[in-house]
Amino acid sequence: MYQFNFAPVFAGFDQLAMGAWLTIQLSVAAMVIGLIVSILCAAGKTSGITPLRFVIDVYIEVIRNTPFLVQIFFIFFGLPSLGLRLTPNSAALLALVINFGAYGTEIIRAGIESIQKGQVEAGTALGLSKLQIFRYIVVKPALRTVYPALTSQFIYLMLTSSVVSAISADDLAAAGNNLQSQTFASFEVYIVITLMYLVMSTGFSAIFAVIEKAAFKYPLSR
Amino acid sequence: MNIRSQISRRVLLAAVGAGLMIGATASMAAAQTVEAIKAAGTLKVGMLVDFPPFGIMNTSNQPDGYDADVAKLLAKELGVKVQIVPVTGPNRIPYLQSSQVDLLVASLGITEERAKTVDFSEPYAGISIGVFGATGTKVSKPEDLSGKSVGVARASTQDTAVTKVAPKDTKIQRFDDDASAVQALLSGQVDLIGVSNVVAAQIEKAAPGRFDQKLQLSQQVQGIAVRKGSTEVLTAVNAFIAKVKADGELNTIHEKWLGAPLPDFVAAAKK
Repeated sequence: MYQFNFAPVFAGFDQLAMGAWLTIQLSVAAMVIGLIVSILCAAGKTSGITPLRFVIDVYIEVIRNTPFLVQIFFIFFGLPSLGLRLTPNSAALLALVINFGAYGTEIIRAGIESIQKGQVEAGTALGLSKLQIFRYIVVKPALRTVYPALTSQFIYLMLTSSVVSAISADDLAAAGNNLQSQTFASFEVYIVITLMYLVMSTGFSAIFAVIEKAAFKYPLSR
Repeated sequence: MNIRSQISRRVLLAAVGAGLMIGATASMAAAQTVEAIKAAGTLKVGMLVDFPPFGIMNTSNQPDGYDADVAKLLAKELGVKVQIVPVTGPNRIPYLQSSQVDLLVASLGITEERAKTVDFSEPYAGISIGVFGATGTKVSKPEDLSGKSVGVARASTQDTAVTKVAPKDTKIQRFDDDASAVQALLSGQVDLIGVSNVVAAQIEKAAPGRFDQKLQLSQQVQGIAVRKGSTEVLTAVNAFIAKVKADGELNTIHEKWLGAPLPDFVAAAKK
């Protein structure tokens, strides 16, 4: 029978906590910036400007059809050849944003396409500006429609961030691997970091539920 | 009942004792002589074939590498043919002890623990761990690592060695393997990396002249191993090693496989 020994794991818990904090920071930053990228790209894709739509389509297809690990290696190891040298943490953030952007664009595009043309026309008839129409009549209801899909993609982003340890960013997975290699208590370490990821995911879900109530509480129909 | 169990216990003890004695004689029996090797006409050499660049299988599926070249040279010196027997890390010493090979040229690191079961020659090869960086980077002592970034493979020997000597403000970046750490050095993501001289030889091949060794952190010499008590063979092997060190042949082999001259810690080493 395997004898569990969690003592060395708790002795190194501050390392894990530091790692978890970086994971949270990276995830939140990537969610916010990624959401903005997604909205802009979705707007571009539904704008009817063909060259713009083509560029965005290429971006989405390239990102959605290549592994995240390759993307992050490309940014961290490849871009320096072109003169762009990023620290592990900024390379990780950039990779997460670019990766999320591709998936987020498609999700939000689906939301935008669910808005009926008549609503936009009604906005024009009321004399709202283009930006106002886009903001209040298109994006907000679109986000409300796709909110569940968007939040699960956010959670997925946080879990994917565990890959950034491959470029020596010190996130929770990296901290776990370091601690595991120091203590050889691999099973115990992975149990603890699994629980920590689980707690973070559920925490994020709870926050998303609060945001949903605050932002989208207006009635859907009368 | 009681008597019977006592008898059976005695029989068992006797059997165990006999087994131990047979085992002991088996491992003592096979001291080797040069005479016997010459009479056989072949030198049977145990060699790793999964440890590049020391022991590999080449494109025609023959054992090759640093160890193979040394083994061939040794056989030539003794005036016999060479027969290379592929062995693995865990079974190389048993192969030697059970007389299936005459000696091992199997990248066997000389350690006190192993010296209890085999006799080692003088070192014929070595692996060192060092800090490497661009030729322009000025680092000559561990304190110079201050403020610099050093890439290592997570939890490797080099990780431990670098972490031990580096000042507190050194940024040690841990990658999943040596390949990623090397990639980080080549792309300029880290100033320096901690790797073995074997990996350094590969870097030299990929980017000749761009990087050199700044610090040597640890070293492990390897010896040719013979069965315990084969003093005569050991003397012959040592004479061979001294000769090839002196006439530069070992240096040529080292240049060929590791892209650098035979390091001093091997050339000058006494075990």
